[in-house]
Amino acid sequence: MLLALAITALQADTSAVAPRAGEVGGPGLAVLAAKAVGCGPGGHDVVDRPVVLVRDGKIESLGPAREVAIPAGYEVVDHGRRWLAPGFVDLHCHIAGGPGGLGDINDAVFLTNPELRAKATVVPRNPLLQRAVAGGVTSVLYIPGSATNMGGQGVLLKTGLAKYEEMVIRDPGSLKLAQAGNPERWTVGVGRSFMNWNTRNTFQRGVRHGRAVAEAEQRGEPAPSSHQWEVFPPLVKKETQISTHTQRYQVVLATLTMVRQELGLDVYIDHGEWYGSKLAAFANELGVDAILGPRAVDLPSPILDTDGKILGIAAEYQRNGHTRIGFNTDSPVLPQEELSVQAAVGVRYGFDDARLDSIRGLTIVPATTAGIAHRVGSLAPGKDADLLVTTGDPVDPRSAVEAVWIEGQRVYDAEADRRLW
Amino acid sequence: MIRLQSLTRLALAAAFAALPLRAQEGGQEGSTGGGEEAAQAPTDDSDARWFAIQGGDIYTGTGAVLRGATLLAKNGRIHAIGYDLDVPPEAKTLDARGYRLYPGLVAISSQGLLGNASGDFRDTIDPFHFRMVLGLATGITTTGVGSSVVKLKRFSVKDAVINERVFSTFAWSNNNPRGKSELRDKFAAAARYQREYREWQRKVKEQKDLPEPSKRGIDNNVLAVLNGDTTAKFSTNDRDELLGVARLAQEYGFRPVVEGCQEGWTIADELGRAGVRAVVTPRARRTKDERQVFDGGSSIENAAILHRAGVPVAITPATEGVDLGGLVGRDIMHLPLEPGFAVRGGLPERAALESITLQPARYLGVSHRVGSLEVGKDCDVIVTDGDVLHYKTFVQWAVVDGKVVYDKEKELFFAHIRPRPEAEAPRKIDAGETPPKPEAEDGEGEGEKKDDAGGDERRGDDEPK
Repeated sequence: MLLALAITALQADTSAVAPRAGEVGGPGLAVLAAKAVGCGPGGHDVVDRPVVLVRDGKIESLGPAREVAIPAGYEVVDHGRRWLAPGFVDLHCHIAGGPGGLGDINDAVFLTNPELRAKATVVPRNPLLQRAVAGGVTSVLYIPGSATNMGGQGVLLKTGLAKYEEMVIRDPGSLKLAQAGNPERWTVGVGRSFMNWNTRNTFQRGVRHGRAVAEAEQRGEPAPSSHQWEVFPPLVKKETQISTHTQRYQVVLATLTMVRQELGLDVYIDHGEWYGSKLAAFANELGVDAILGPRAVDLPSPILDTDGKILGIAAEYQRNGHTRIGFNTDSPVLPQEELSVQAAVGVRYGFDDARLDSIRGLTIVPATTAGIAHRVGSLAPGKDADLLVTTGDPVDPRSAVEAVWIEGQRVYDAEADRRLW
Repeated sequence: MIRLQSLTRLALAAAFAALPLRAQEGGQEGSTGGGEEAAQAPTDDSDARWFAIQGGDIYTGTGAVLRGATLLAKNGRIHAIGYDLDVPPEAKTLDARGYRLYPGLVAISSQGLLGNASGDFRDTIDPFHFRMVLGLATGITTTGVGSSVVKLKRFSVKDAVINERVFSTFAWSNNNPRGKSELRDKFAAAARYQREYREWQRKVKEQKDLPEPSKRGIDNNVLAVLNGDTTAKFSTNDRDELLGVARLAQEYGFRPVVEGCQEGWTIADELGRAGVRAVVTPRARRTKDERQVFDGGSSIENAAILHRAGVPVAITPATEGVDLGGLVGRDIMHLPLEPGFAVRGGLPERAALESITLQPARYLGVSHRVGSLEVGKDCDVIVTDGDVLHYKTFVQWAVVDGKVVYDKEKELFFAHIRPRPEAEAPRKIDAGETPPKPEAEDGEGEGEKKDDAGGDERRGDDEPK
């Protein structure tokens, strides 16, 4: 009895650090606002006067406030005329290591380095990640640089959480492939055909290992292990993908034919730009998603006969028949918090936004591309409560992010903290 | 006799949506029976060049909005803004129904929009250069270049330079303490000379042989600033340096233009009191000096905080040239996008529009001619398909001195992006394109677009006739 009392007293003492509403183990949270965008599994839907119920870090339900009953004991936060949106997802991020040049790996050891890991350099809550949160970016694929054809393994992270273990959405988040554009500078310089051969060669050896592991597991036998090829078993088992820095017609074509058709691996265009859009229909047909940026337009050039037009890259991918188009920053090439600006300039230069594809390109499209749509990418019951409060259309640079929850934790509050972006 | 309608009158006209505005030319107001409100074409200038932009929503840039109104220009100057104007039959017209009119944008500084011009702009402007087209496509009709102010007068270089020797540029850097003290000495000497000279001017009327005070050792640039002939320009982001500039300005009574100003938000009141005028890039980054006890570093709220403290704010993008690298949104071609980031940080929409129109026009000493749509000013107008600060908005026509010098449909670069609908279908701008403003700011009408789709009226030619 005394012991029980003592325990109760102890619990009362620790109430200061008890989980807050919406957090895991805490009471429920009900968020009200004027409008919610990016709702439903497809991220198409808009709900006016919504209420989002959050419990244990997950979205419990979402609907018009007049239809959804707020259970007793839930903390109610009314954001009045603000909007709600799902947290943004950037599949091309180099800033989780923080500022000062000590961040991202870009070790040009060999021309292909599938065994290197970007996760080794993550610094949680570094200033760049905090500003990313203030820009509404809640999930990123943190990847190695493109000094070589395979820079290493990326990791999918939540930007605003305090510990690395909490941040990880999936590891490996991807194998980073850079088919051309920078690796030419490796050592004394290499050409396109040698890079393609070497990349193919690495892939074939890796995939052989991956298949051996998968088959051994199927037979229930001990699987061979290899540090060098460790990323290939999850690739072969479709548990992760290849994110490809690919641009220009011939390079995108190499991505599609070599990686997708010959090897059958899940791959997507990341850092898509520079006249790759001519292959949009082919990429779409092969199930290769297009995550575009940091460049947003193709200028008049002899490479692509644009007849003097300034072409929006997203608009061209769309016009040529691609249906799954997302946006990236290549941060710090563009600041991480400016991801939404990429969608805005995409729309400016002709990307059709009639179905809210600008918002989808920041949320559900990249989430689906990276295979994490069961957790992030839209406001739908069962997903992580990664929630933005904005002053208006989240794509408009004039709209500020007022508050951010990640997994039910209020990680940013522009009023209480200083506005970071 | 009121020669020009005041801003207040313009705003009133918007509010009551009735009275047309026009230049009232003394002694020439013979009515021809068009009613009191009709602007009359004076009979004695039959060779006047008339141009009318009809039916658009006119955002004057001074806070007023006249929906579905007409802007009439005579000989390149705005002659009247209002409703039911008597447009002379020979006037060229532009049908702007469903579109918005804004003052042509003023770039406080830019590079390359005049072609490969340098040095003497009168001789080196290239009025056919493609970057001038891109500048007009951005909405820029006037730009500061170095210490000159030039209009983007396409096809012509005549009278393109509208102001020169605007700025005297000085450095004020913590890294050069000697430079700071030397500049302070120069101001002290010039101020002393100014006093002596004035005294001499007063006394010499009686003492004819009194020698004029020696100008020896007096810095002409500094003296020009003290005489009000030029504007002192500094470029600094550092808090201490900004304070130094502010104190210098207060001590010697001039209003400097300060480029950068990234830490201005930490000392906005001091800058406001000193009369500092800021040129900011809302997205520019500066890391806080962690050894510094004060607030520091850049803030997205910088422009808003400066504005609240009474510091005028002009906005310039991170890159003042045309960036053709494909990384878009940060160069001079996206001038109207940049103030959006100041709005994000709390700057009212109206101040955001002024930051790329009226404020830079004032800094450049040309606000009597450009920067807002007011009777008597130059007819430099952009006609847009939406809110000029919205990311989706394109300039459809740019007008300089009452002439259409840019038509999106007829140029190479952007004609394919959301082409204008055919003339038969009067266009309705989707009000949903503009994000709703949670709080009404400034009372500037950000409301519904007028639905002008009804009626039997057919749109005329898009062409200016």
